[in-house]
Amino acid sequence: MAVVVEKEKEELGTELKEVIVEPMNYVFGKIMEILTIIGLIAMFVPGIIYIVTGKGYLSRDVVVKYWGLKASAFWKKVMGIKVFGYSWFLSHLTATDCLSIFGVCILAVTPLISLIGAEVKADKKYKVLIGILIIEFLFAIFRPILMGH
Amino acid sequence: MDWLMWVLALFFMTLGIGIVAPIAGVGGGVLFTPLTMAFYPFSTDFIRGAGLVMAMTSALSSAPHFAKKGLANLRILAPVVIVSIIFSILGGIIGLWVTNAFPQGKSYIKIGLGLILFVVFLVYLFSKRVEFPQIAHIDPISEKLDIHGMWYEPSLNKVVEYRTTNLLYALPAFAGVGFIAGMFGLGAGWANVPVLNLVMGAPLKVATSTSMMIITINDAAACWVYMARGAMLALIIVPSVLGITIGARIGARIAVKSRPKSIKYLVMAIMLFAAIMDIWKGLHGLGLAPPI
Repeated sequence: MAVVVEKEKEELGTELKEVIVEPMNYVFGKIMEILTIIGLIAMFVPGIIYIVTGKGYLSRDVVVKYWGLKASAFWKKVMGIKVFGYSWFLSHLTATDCLSIFGVCILAVTPLISLIGAEVKADKKYKVLIGILIIEFLFAIFRPILMGH
Repeated sequence: MDWLMWVLALFFMTLGIGIVAPIAGVGGGVLFTPLTMAFYPFSTDFIRGAGLVMAMTSALSSAPHFAKKGLANLRILAPVVIVSIIFSILGGIIGLWVTNAFPQGKSYIKIGLGLILFVVFLVYLFSKRVEFPQIAHIDPISEKLDIHGMWYEPSLNKVVEYRTTNLLYALPAFAGVGFIAGMFGLGAGWANVPVLNLVMGAPLKVATSTSMMIITINDAAACWVYMARGAMLALIIVPSVLGITIGARIGARIAVKSRPKSIKYLVMAIMLFAAIMDIWKGLHGLGLAPPI
């Protein structure tokens, strides 16, 4: 089985300890690290702009008035829409609050992309297991679109 | 400017949670969701959505480091998350269905969360952790899947190799954990770690790190359920996640220097108080208790 040897940099007396980190774990971690930074920036920057300027899809004053309602009632009252799927924010990506939710989207898709990267490096058994995980994750994303609720 | 008051209140509360959580050794989500349900005017849908994003973000920030060190291990994660991810999605769907299908749905959620919090409290109070569990035998499935790993442990000055066992016993536990995470918007590290450590026999550091990795996948999957229902508001999510992100960095630095027991007891007292408040408010919503 192919492995990556990650050498711990600490000198321990005369010996240098070696830790074998499996490529699938390493790739998983590396992809996750990069995408998390991108996702956090994509969520925080427009989110802070929205909080400071108020220029967004939803008015801050209206949000505060109705945020006690359950989600379905909130959207019906505030925008007159029924939310099923992701078009409520994907159709308004010029608005800072929707852009911030898109940042959440990037964060929420990060484990999936990390799993896809890890699968490439996994051995046969784990290719199957991670493959099932990927399918389950895709189901979580596309379920509202496919099933309509 | 009513919104500003709430945004600032959220930011400072999550900043405080971020600071004390690493010192007390608890996850931020387990304090955020019940406290916000008890004291803030937001719908339970938006609170659980924000709680999931918060738990997911915290886990995403730490899991990569552990994965690259060999502490968080996909060999342990893959078989258990195949089960928990389905239950996490199911938990999210049922959780939102309860609040939307029943007029007093949010009261049921509050009572349920309060009861879960009592369990969390008891877990923190009584569960003992084993740094390096001894495994007598490895079950055939774990053997077949070749679940193993290694990391360099500075306190022992050596590379520690480990294996895990009891995979079949752990699966129902992870199904329950996934369901609770999705339904109540929690990270559920409080449940993952004991199962990984005490049932599967993973060393404590491996259990804690792999739990982070599990949270990233379970909570991200449940996030999509909440996102598809519009149960996410930037005005709630951004100050909450920002607060806990900054707080956690401060808390982690303090935790390295000292971890006073008094902080742990304080956090447990807050947890118990939030549990009582949530149950009381839930009962009040059902007309079974007077207002607070």
